[in-house]
Amino acid sequence: MTDLEMKLKAEAKRLLDEHLVDVFIGFRKENAPLHPQPAFFTNSDQLDDFVYNNLCQNNLAKFLTRYPHETKIGMIVRGCENRSVNHLIVERQHPRENIIMIGVPCTGIYDWRKITQRCGEEISDVELSPGKITVKTSKNQFEFESKELLHVSCARCSQPNPISADLVIGEPVEPKDPARAKRQVETFGGMTAKARYEWFTHESERCIRCYACREACPMCYCAECFVDHGAPRWTESMVSKAGMQTWHIIRAFHQTGRCVDCGACERACPMDIRMTYITEKLNTDMENEYQFICGMDDKTQPPFAAFTMDDKTRFVA
Amino acid sequence: MNYILSRNDIPKVLEMWSKTHQVFAPQKYSNFSAFLPYEGKAEQLCLEYPHNTRYPPKALFLPQSEELLSYTKDGQASEPALDAKPKLIFGIHACDTRAMTLLDTVFDAKDYQDPFWKARRESTAIITLGCDEPCSTCFCTTVEGGPFNRQGADIIMTDIGESFHLEALTPKGENLCKDLPYASAAEDRKVSNVQEKATSDMPKAFDTEGLKTALDANFDSSYWEEVQRSCLGCGVCTFLCPTCFCFDIADEAARSKRYRNWDTCMFSVYSREASGHNPRPSRKERTRQRLMHKYSYWVDQIGKIGCTGCGRCVRYCPVGLDIRAMLREAGKLPVEVIHA
Amino acid sequence: MPNQQVSPYTPIPMHLLRSYPESVDGALRSIELSFDNPADCRTFYEAYDPGQFCQISIFGKGESAIGVASAAWEGDFVRFTVQRMGVVTTALHQMQVGDALGIRGPLGNGFPLNEWKGKDLIFIGGGSAFSTLYATVLHITGSSLKKEFGRISVIYGTRSSGHALYKESLKRWHENHEIDLFQTIDNPEPNWPYMVGFVPDAVRAVKPSPNNAVAIVCGPPIMTKFTLPILEDLGFKPEAVYTSLEKRMKCGIGKCGRCNIGPKYVCKDGPVFSLAELHTLPNEL
Ligand SMILES: Cc1cc2nc3c(=O)[nH]c(=O)nc-3n(C[C@H](O)[C@H](O)[C@H](O)COP(=O)(O)OP(=O)(O)OC[C@H]3O[C@@H](n4cnc5c(N)ncnc54)[C@H](O)[C@@H]3O)c2cc1C
Ligand code: SF4
Ligand code: SF4
Ligand code: SF4
Ligand code: SF4
Ligand code: FES
Repeated sequence: MTDLEMKLKAEAKRLLDEHLVDVFIGFRKENAPLHPQPAFFTNSDQLDDFVYNNLCQNNLAKFLTRYPHETKIGMIVRGCENRSVNHLIVERQHPRENIIMIGVPCTGIYDWRKITQRCGEEISDVELSPGKITVKTSKNQFEFESKELLHVSCARCSQPNPISADLVIGEPVEPKDPARAKRQVETFGGMTAKARYEWFTHESERCIRCYACREACPMCYCAECFVDHGAPRWTESMVSKAGMQTWHIIRAFHQTGRCVDCGACERACPMDIRMTYITEKLNTDMENEYQFICGMDDKTQPPFAAFTMDDKTRFVA
Repeated sequence: MNYILSRNDIPKVLEMWSKTHQVFAPQKYSNFSAFLPYEGKAEQLCLEYPHNTRYPPKALFLPQSEELLSYTKDGQASEPALDAKPKLIFGIHACDTRAMTLLDTVFDAKDYQDPFWKARRESTAIITLGCDEPCSTCFCTTVEGGPFNRQGADIIMTDIGESFHLEALTPKGENLCKDLPYASAAEDRKVSNVQEKATSDMPKAFDTEGLKTALDANFDSSYWEEVQRSCLGCGVCTFLCPTCFCFDIADEAARSKRYRNWDTCMFSVYSREASGHNPRPSRKERTRQRLMHKYSYWVDQIGKIGCTGCGRCVRYCPVGLDIRAMLREAGKLPVEVIHA
Repeated sequence: MPNQQVSPYTPIPMHLLRSYPESVDGALRSIELSFDNPADCRTFYEAYDPGQFCQISIFGKGESAIGVASAAWEGDFVRFTVQRMGVVTTALHQMQVGDALGIRGPLGNGFPLNEWKGKDLIFIGGGSAFSTLYATVLHITGSSLKKEFGRISVIYGTRSSGHALYKESLKRWHENHEIDLFQTIDNPEPNWPYMVGFVPDAVRAVKPSPNNAVAIVCGPPIMTKFTLPILEDLGFKPEAVYTSLEKRMKCGIGKCGRCNIGPKYVCKDGPVFSLAELHTLPNEL
């Protein structure tokens, strides 16, 4: 157990033992390699298999909306999770006073898909040490530098440090390489329309419409998603070009000004589909056009949800 | 009879089979693998992976989206032609082959037959590639199968080094092998070694003895609430599962066609009725349905577990929920003795 | 050939013959459909047992499971009584005479009339779910079958007199005593000659004898829930009480997986179950 894990666990134990929270959301040890599980501790006896490491790939803010507002929730937040929580507070999904955020300056999440691409899908064991990862398969052993395996969202992360946590454990870390986000958006935007469409088609055509991307996203909490709506039906339910492309575009649109670029959607996808190139474009637009970055505080409405009398466009007749 | 297919000859033989069959083989698809039509690109083949294809081959018989009929404005329906072209699936693992035989009991049942499924099944020959190195996430031997299980196969293929050993199990299989050299007695011996070792190397993932009784007795247990907490309610575990067969039927008015699309009991809309009533209102009931279907209801219906231990749900669940761990826990639940 | 009919997913082509409101509020309509190919009608009713249902199909809208509400002897048509709920049922309400639609069926098990022969039958219905009970009574009374059963009673409750279905038939039964009809409404109305109160209370008042009798209960869940204990008090064994279940359905033939309750598919193993069978199934209604 790392020093950080020990400290986090001790903090979770304190919050639970002192009844400061009803539940503490963190992670517990994986059953199968690569996938530590989100865990919901309600009693400090349950903390035996508590883990926290760079393979903890889910955005825990996802689970906030599952609890009634009265529940006092303690949780681990990395930079992106902290901003997700902030934005969920803006959207009134849980009151700030009933959340205790234990912040962790984040060194980035390893993308399990980068690991399986390099080592094959049959992984028998993984060992983590600072900045390094050793992956064992039945025949081979691979060593990687952590930066090789970071998920793209983490590799370009501009806010790895929690910004409004109640307590931060560990020293702040440097932002990664935010210029990468800009580069990717520019590269994509710089392509011809035809090339962009080809890229988009190549990604979206593998979609199996399992909606793991939706279910992994903290902002997708609608009681009924547009794709499930029966009357009217907004798009084909098939794995047809129209159906899949509509899903990918509308899903991204619904995140405009609400996405913190945690990349949880991509990491949940079983078909290795890239999606954050669309959401990052929307994030960049929000920043350039409206000087808005999602989740930087827990009060500001995103531009598309806000209304002011001096709006440039008259959209109310 | 037993035959030999040398590694070097694979492209040539696939080429030969392609003359009479549409050949499907595990091939690279993005960063993973899927069964795709073989188009002469031997470098695309994925026969060396210990794991099965990520996208399940059930799609070759039950495509994710499939036309059931088309219609005209005045209400005339016509059915799509049945797919009776000879097909060959090369290199499918035993768990996935066996899954087809389980699904036959659904789609080719005594009362109603699904003609689309049946036509594809009848026109397809299956060459199973046994697993000489079963994955740590696989557990076929725990659930009545095995890395060299023959159910549903026309040929069972074993990797014996520089070549594959092919044992034809049916006339269809014999027919495919007719141009291949016979295996020698020494090669046959290698096969039994490989097969026995692979089978005996696999640990038991959980106890199936008494598991159904425990599940049935604990339908209302708080276990279900506990076990599903991290579940996202996505379609990964069921869409990728080779034995999940649920589908939705939807009309696409713009195409004037009625389709079926894979569906899953893990989605909330799956069982929601027009009145808004949902007999499975939360992930708790939905997770229970998934596990109970595979480990209890299938057993009631056909006397077999409805999971072949392929390990996909274990490997690809985005929150690391492992069906083996869930069932190990379930097996420990108390079973109340019911007094008459 | 436009209609090969090799697939159980292809509906039998039909068109709308008649459509008329049943309840005062218009929420329920009966539609009568006739077969494009008259020979299909014979085949249909030969295969049919009361209690079965069909998937009614409107191309472009979808399908809905609806219980059969007519008897073969009534004529060359099939009646359904449809409550407007969502896409398909709304479209069914709006259909015009002559419009094309289709049905798949008859589907499901239906009531085990053969097992019931020689017994008294007590049909207990409420609201819109009365349709298959009605069809069963028609089936029995309109044919030589009637003498094979003992007394036939119907206890039928609706919100008001205007909400009752099949008013003509009810009137006839009240007058000719072909069956023992006990009709009840939730609240008193001027000049209402029959019972007032909820169905469970009506059952208690009518006090049907459990001797050599079966009770068939079809109604809203709440009615069923409160009626079952009363039947038990009256001495009805779980084997002698039947009900018809509803689940969201698609294929109707045990393929799409959707309608299961434990190991049983409501579409093909049901929708009719005895209470004794239900006791062996998980509680997931
Ligand atoms: C065995 C059986 C018999 C029935 N008999 C009758 C009857 O006689 N009269 C009547 O009015 N209703 C009956 N129903 C209920 C009726 O099927 C639904 O109200 C209807 O399908 C709703 O469809 P919709 O398209 O209008 O609603 P939507 O909400 O638009 O539903 C979309 C689709 O979901 C499915 N679906 C939704 N709810 C149900 C449901 N409760 N049962 C089955 N499928 C559903 C259908 O395929 C439907 O087309 C019966 C249901 C069953 C299972
Ligand atoms: S997770 Fe991937 S495959 Fe699933 S719906 Fe999203 S993009 Fe499609
Ligand atoms: S794949 Fe995992 S998260 Fe998704 S429904 Fe299955 S168990 Fe739940
Ligand atoms: S339940 Fe999981 S292990 Fe079993 S057959 Fe399905 S995907 Fe494979
Ligand atoms: S587990 Fe769920 S999705 Fe899979 S076959 Fe059963 S009901 Fe269908
Ligand atoms: S409706 Fe498809 S299985 Fe019952």
